[in-house]
Amino acid sequence: MDTFGYLGQGFGVALTPYNLITALCGTLIGTVVGLLPGLGPINGVALLIPIAFALGLPPESALILLAAVYLGCEYGGRISSILLNIPGEASTVMTTLDGYPMARKGLAGVALSLSAWSSFIGAFIATCGMVLFAPLLAKWAIAFGPAEYFVLMVFAIVCLGGMAGDRPLKTFIAALIGLFLSTVGIDANSGVYRFTGDNIHLTDGIQFVVLVLGLFSISEILLLLEKTHRGQEAVKATGRMMFNFKEASAVFVVNIRCGLLGFIMGVLPGAGATLASAVAYMTEKRLAGTSGKFGEGDMRGLAAPETAIGASACGALVPMLTLGVPGSGTTAVMIGALSLYNITPGPLLFQQQPDIVWGLIASLFIANIMLVILNIPMIRIFTRILSVPNWALVPVIAIITAIGVYAVHATTFDLFLMIGIGIFGYILRKLDFPLSPVLLGFILGGLMEQNLRRALSISNGALEILWASPITLGVWVLTAIMLLMPVLRIWRKRSAKRRALANA
Amino acid sequence: MFIQRIFASVLLVVCAGLAIMAWPYQAAFSYEPVGPRAFPLLMLALMALGLIYMIFRPSPVVHSEEDPQLDRQTLTKIGLCVLLLLVFAGTFEPLGFILSSALVGIPMARLYGGRWLPGILIISLMSVGLYLLFDKAMDVPLPLGLLDVLEN
Repeated sequence: MDTFGYLGQGFGVALTPYNLITALCGTLIGTVVGLLPGLGPINGVALLIPIAFALGLPPESALILLAAVYLGCEYGGRISSILLNIPGEASTVMTTLDGYPMARKGLAGVALSLSAWSSFIGAFIATCGMVLFAPLLAKWAIAFGPAEYFVLMVFAIVCLGGMAGDRPLKTFIAALIGLFLSTVGIDANSGVYRFTGDNIHLTDGIQFVVLVLGLFSISEILLLLEKTHRGQEAVKATGRMMFNFKEASAVFVVNIRCGLLGFIMGVLPGAGATLASAVAYMTEKRLAGTSGKFGEGDMRGLAAPETAIGASACGALVPMLTLGVPGSGTTAVMIGALSLYNITPGPLLFQQQPDIVWGLIASLFIANIMLVILNIPMIRIFTRILSVPNWALVPVIAIITAIGVYAVHATTFDLFLMIGIGIFGYILRKLDFPLSPVLLGFILGGLMEQNLRRALSISNGALEILWASPITLGVWVLTAIMLLMPVLRIWRKRSAKRRALANA
Repeated sequence: MFIQRIFASVLLVVCAGLAIMAWPYQAAFSYEPVGPRAFPLLMLALMALGLIYMIFRPSPVVHSEEDPQLDRQTLTKIGLCVLLLLVFAGTFEPLGFILSSALVGIPMARLYGGRWLPGILIISLMSVGLYLLFDKAMDVPLPLGLLDVLEN
């Protein structure tokens, strides 16, 4: 019962007029950012961190703003997938499969509002799951010592590679690059300057915002240069804007199923929205069998991935809040934001600052409702934003990115560093390396090193402590399974190919 | 494949260089068994292993249809864009935010296929507008640079 008391308290925080307006601004900004080509939730949240800080928002409002932007971005990405058939990011690829055909049939408005509704249900299920499980997990996580944390982070990193599927090696290298970059700067334990090359601007380490904006914004600006002409006309959203009761009830079962699935996938580190939406779509397609018109504008095909994305976006907040271990790129950015406010997410957060945690959870409910409501009057404005040409958009993105970086430390060194990181990120992208593992590695790196050193200090240098307790052993076993997954998958694919050859 | 091998080799050399850099990192007074160099060295070693594997068995880069092969023209454009960004960073403080963003934003708009006149118009308005929005309304301090005289 305690939980509901806290939740009520959270709604008390989130429903203050100030925080409501913050959440509204956040959803609006997020939707616009998500709409624009080349900007996703990671950039959106990262850009707002220094600004929220400069505005002097109290921590809970800042967190509410960032969460609202996060959800808004997910929603904005949907608009371009449905109306333009251009997925804003990897997770919305599945949305285009049935969303765009629906829009072509003249059901654009219905498709948009139905997707918002599905995502709302998904997020609602996930938030309920979070309310139920997060405190339990947090209570359990207090038993974690430094050794357990270290092993857990190894697991999170390995999970990324194991789940990413087709390119485990590149994911692994990318994560290691991030882990290494986190060691730049003065070492807090010994005072040794590491990899700074006597540059005073680097003594503090690489600023988080600089890394994120360099990796994601600058590299995206360079990528956009390759696609200067995109000759796609947005489908006009005319006619009925709102789905009716019949349509909503037709997909309700799908919503529930995919919501649960998305939540579980979101909680697992490394899986995230992309995998959740793909699995949800495939499952529903198989369940529907021949009765479904998947790929030709079936409403279930739209509802399934959207529910899963909404649910996994909220589910990803669970490991971040309870363990302090982010499960996705965006939650990694949010951890960076929290650390700017000197808040360390983790089990103790639930006890020490329940206002922040429960205020955030409550504001997720509110932001989701806002997004559904906003959809009806604002969709025409949003679709107009889609027609902003790249030549006007890109310079503005570049300028705002520079402002975001400059706002952190007010040095131009950071600007140069950001450009350097951006070029590196561009090269990585061209070579098919995923970028969010770099980010996750960077966030986890500091924590990982600290916990490793603390654990070995406790044991006076004996490595046994890393696998002494049952929790560590269990996590090691899971890690081993995750490491074997890609190998197994490749092996299975090969044997399937051999069988196909034998049959032919 | 070839480019990947080159990239992996270059990164491997960088790894080795960084490892040499990290070798002398030792705490003058140490109270803990693990010093400041163990973790970075471990990361570099693991990365090197991965890179060596990549040099011998590079995985093919999957090209989607949206993602055309790089030609000389695009490469020049990317070079120009990087140059513009560097100029932006370099002039950010001396010229001030408004002037430097207009100076860089206008050619950039051109680079992305805009025409001169609308480009100049929109970017100039944007740079003034963004300055007012961030510096005045949101308290993010931005340098005024040459336009300093206009203030007070």
